[in-house]
Amino acid sequence: MLHLVKLELKKGGLRGYILGALIAYAAIAGLLMLMYFVKDEPTGSTFKNQADMLSAVNTLVGATFIVYASALLSKLVISEFKDRTMTLLFAYPVSRKQLIFAKLSIVFVWCFVAIVLGNVLLDALMLTVNHFVGDLASDLSATNLVHQFGHVILQTIGAAGMSLLPLVIGLPRRSVAATIVSSIFIVAIVSSNNAGFSLSSIIAIPLALAAIGIIGAYLSFRNIDQIDVA
Amino acid sequence: MTHTIRTRMLSKSYRSADVVSNVEMTVKRGEIYGFLGPNGAGKSTVMKMLLGLVQPTGGEIELFGEKLIIGRNEHLKRIGHLIETPVFYDRMTARENLELHAEYMGYHSKGAIDEALRMVHLVGTDRKPVKQFSLGMKQRLAIARAISTRPELLLLDEPINGLDPEGIQSMRLLFRRLRDEWGTSILVSSHLLSEIEQIADTIGVINEGRLLREVSLDDVRTSTTAFVEISTPNAALAAYVLTEKLGLDQFKQIDDHTLRVYDTRVPQESLSKMLILNDVSIESINRRHHSLEEYFFDMIKGGDDHAAPGQTGA
Repeated sequence: MLHLVKLELKKGGLRGYILGALIAYAAIAGLLMLMYFVKDEPTGSTFKNQADMLSAVNTLVGATFIVYASALLSKLVISEFKDRTMTLLFAYPVSRKQLIFAKLSIVFVWCFVAIVLGNVLLDALMLTVNHFVGDLASDLSATNLVHQFGHVILQTIGAAGMSLLPLVIGLPRRSVAATIVSSIFIVAIVSSNNAGFSLSSIIAIPLALAAIGIIGAYLSFRNIDQIDVA
Repeated sequence: MTHTIRTRMLSKSYRSADVVSNVEMTVKRGEIYGFLGPNGAGKSTVMKMLLGLVQPTGGEIELFGEKLIIGRNEHLKRIGHLIETPVFYDRMTARENLELHAEYMGYHSKGAIDEALRMVHLVGTDRKPVKQFSLGMKQRLAIARAISTRPELLLLDEPINGLDPEGIQSMRLLFRRLRDEWGTSILVSSHLLSEIEQIADTIGVINEGRLLREVSLDDVRTSTTAFVEISTPNAALAAYVLTEKLGLDQFKQIDDHTLRVYDTRVPQESLSKMLILNDVSIESINRRHHSLEEYFFDMIKGGDDHAAPGQTGA
């Protein structure tokens, strides 16, 4: 199993994804800075308090990497079907289920790590900036931070699971475009922030969607041994 | 185990269309089996079923003496293949593609990749990404990949496509060498007889999803390609003489003036002598070759009317 994951990584192009993730972090940092420093005079700062700021970080990072994961999903699964390299893989003395499982776990783990890491880095950045500029009241106690961390982990599991949802839509069409567009739709619905409220803030919603994503992915590949490829 | 491949009533249909029906084919161990048929006859589908890429809707497949079971795939270690167009991870180099293949196949033998590349004359280009390869090079690389794990069975679907005449010649030599040195069984398909008649030991003719006939090429050559054609004003009388006086039955009356004798054991002189002795005048008598091309073309057209050996397919 680990061997299969290693072989997937060997196929290359993943270094570009890591670089892309770093660029995405930088872009999000830039956006957060804009939100932090550019003030709309009548209403004051964009962030009400530090917790509000950290939740904005979480939303932005989550949304970005759900879309990003769909690109990875396209490369690892959809394109292999489209370019017919899947016919090679399926003619190997390797279980097809394990092969697909290896691919999907790469997407899931990558998404999870990228979101957690993004939260940690950007939270640290924003808190440091705030520490020196000192616009927002420090309402974060140690317990608050632990609570926030737990929240981020749950949200991230939700996001990583949701990142598999575009597969259910893109796979039957063998379409990279459908995969990525559907991920954007999912993000637009779940993460859009409306006066401080987003669907993803009710933790049950991302977790339920994650469950649907994982079950959907399972159902997509349940009969993989019996299907005709090419 | 004398058979590498054996299928029984192998069928595949999509909705109502039968793509392959009741194919019974046998590929003996260590032989080159030419799979001949026009485009769309079902050759690729049969090969995909052998590889497990397509599930049969009927019948069964036996590979290396064991029945194929869904989900069981250890036997794939022993098969090399090239189905339809060659596919690669285009951004990886030729060598990386072969290395990846060896990893997935679980085949670790130092020098195997070099040897395979040498066999298809691709040495020196192995560090180039595959996307820079021409179709002919990709085709050769795909063959290198197929043989790099020293398979006992090679499935090659139109392997000559995209190759220049020199490449075709060297592939023929390669296939023979694999058979003779490694004992590889090779199933090679083509829609051109000329491509496979020179290398195949056995030819299976498939058309519209049905295997029409499976014949040993030696048999076809010795007993159906040569015949003696007799032109005479009275073919009916000549036929009577051949049957009654010479005891021949392998001949055919083409029209009122022409007879073809397929039994080449009878010398031409005895034929003419006997006919003349019985007052059958002869306008001409010639030994001729019925080309293999004609033979198979007739078969595909359904004009399978002269005596030929070999068991009949489905």
